Amino acid sequence: MNSLNGNVQTMEMGGCPGAQRAGNLHKLAAVARIKWLCISRNAMIMIGPVLVIGMVYVCKILYGINSGGTLVPFLRGVLLNIGITMNICAEGFIMVGTSIAEEKESHTLRVLMTSSITGMQYFIGSILFPFVMLMAVNYIVLFISGIPMDIVPWIPFFFVSMVVSLTSCVLGMIVGICAKNQMNANLISYPFLMVFMMVPIFGNMSEALHKISGFLFTGVMTGMTECLAAGETYVMSPLDMAVLFGELLISVLVFLVLYKRNGYEKD
Amino acid sequence: MEQNVLLSLSHISKRFKTEQALKDINMTLHQGEILGFLGPSGAGKTTTIKIITGQLRQTSGEARLLGTDSSNIDESIYEKIGVVSDNSGIYKKMTVWQNLYVFAGIWQVSRERVEKVLTQVGLGEHRNKPAGKLSKGQTQRLVLARAVLHKPRVLFLDEPTSGLDPSTAVAIHRMLLELKEEGMAIFLTTHNMEEAAKLCDKVALLHDGEIVEFGSPQEICLKHNRNKKYSVLLEGDRELVLAQNPENVRKIAGWMERDEIMRIHSCEPTLETVFLEVTGKDLNV
Repeated sequence: MNSLNGNVQTMEMGGCPGAQRAGNLHKLAAVARIKWLCISRNAMIMIGPVLVIGMVYVCKILYGINSGGTLVPFLRGVLLNIGITMNICAEGFIMVGTSIAEEKESHTLRVLMTSSITGMQYFIGSILFPFVMLMAVNYIVLFISGIPMDIVPWIPFFFVSMVVSLTSCVLGMIVGICAKNQMNANLISYPFLMVFMMVPIFGNMSEALHKISGFLFTGVMTGMTECLAAGETYVMSPLDMAVLFGELLISVLVFLVLYKRNGYEKD
Repeated sequence: MEQNVLLSLSHISKRFKTEQALKDINMTLHQGEILGFLGPSGAGKTTTIKIITGQLRQTSGEARLLGTDSSNIDESIYEKIGVVSDNSGIYKKMTVWQNLYVFAGIWQVSRERVEKVLTQVGLGEHRNKPAGKLSKGQTQRLVLARAVLHKPRVLFLDEPTSGLDPSTAVAIHRMLLELKEEGMAIFLTTHNMEEAAKLCDKVALLHDGEIVEFGSPQEICLKHNRNKKYSVLLEGDRELVLAQNPENVRKIAGWMERDEIMRIHSCEPTLETVFLEVTGKDLNV
């Protein structure tokens, strides 16, 4: 059975292993190229990152009108939280999920999966471009938010941003696996958005929400950005670490269970 | 395994929840052969392709594709086969060239090969056109081009000319015959009997998931030619269909002696009439 139906067999490693590896990389590159071409030409998807960057930039100007362009730390934190959380959630879930749903709609997913692409190659190829995009937008939002760059702990920021973006992409794959079409993908994304986007964004307004936010991977990211905005040093707690890796692991497991059951597309 | 047998189905049955989709299907496909799978919609044609290509698992029986059991095939088999399904999609926002080139990347096919296939299917001048703007015939040719890009040993075509204009259908037929000449084995499903008779070396007539006839189109037609008849066109545009019996033979001999016959030929049943006779149903339903 092929990977479309979730019953992936191990690729025979006959012949020269080097050539086999090169072949696998070619396939991975081809899937990533297809995804890049599809996503970058889908205005419905590509409007998201532009909106996030635009919104943060415009809000920064508007909030700063009365204070000569300088924002108070609280507002910087709010801006950064909204920008990064929207990017991670709205873009991660929707970009990955919708692009798979689009392939189902146009029947190209079946074509791709009957062209010797493995489930793993499709998985990695599908999240590669969105992952890079999420990371890039996170950095752009960080730059334009007005946070002094000398207080940014670059390595922890990169690490947290990477794990969070990856988790978001895996959740997007779950959305894509469950969705029948693009409309359906958006609909399935909403519960994820409500939890992973709204709770951290409004975490500052309620103690209870703030506590819950601490148990969400997006909450760990906003916790970090709040520290940055307040000019405090961010130290990753064991709980943050457990939440980041725990939720990444759970997402991967849920994806694997769904994939094993029906593959990328239910017959 | 018999020499040159690329595909064999042995006692294949498939049952969905309440419906028996396929019953005891047996057949073989050899290298350089076109096998037609004929039947009306819902007869089980697409299900058969899905079982052979590992997209669906049979309830019982064995399907072997290129020597491998279909229920155990992995993705590498798709490097040796091409599949054109009834709803094979194209990337509409990509150009014709990009649609082929991304798959060339998967199969590691050279640019020259992409160019050659593009020219072969007559889409060379449309290379930079977004695939979504192609006509139905051009889209079908693009799908076919993609399926043969990596020179598969077996090509599966599910209703390849369905809904196409006659000239595009003829162009596709020509291309299939060329591929056959190159040694490719083609498994073709269709409900177009003329197409099957013209292209196929062997056909299987499928009815309610069961093969009711199997053989070359000529063999099948001759087998069902029980009531032999002759069509005779006489001078004065008088056309007659006469059953073969001593009286009519004498009549024909007389017309021949008097040189009154303009045209005469035997009337064998067509695949369509055979199907109707065997199943009591029309193929075009």
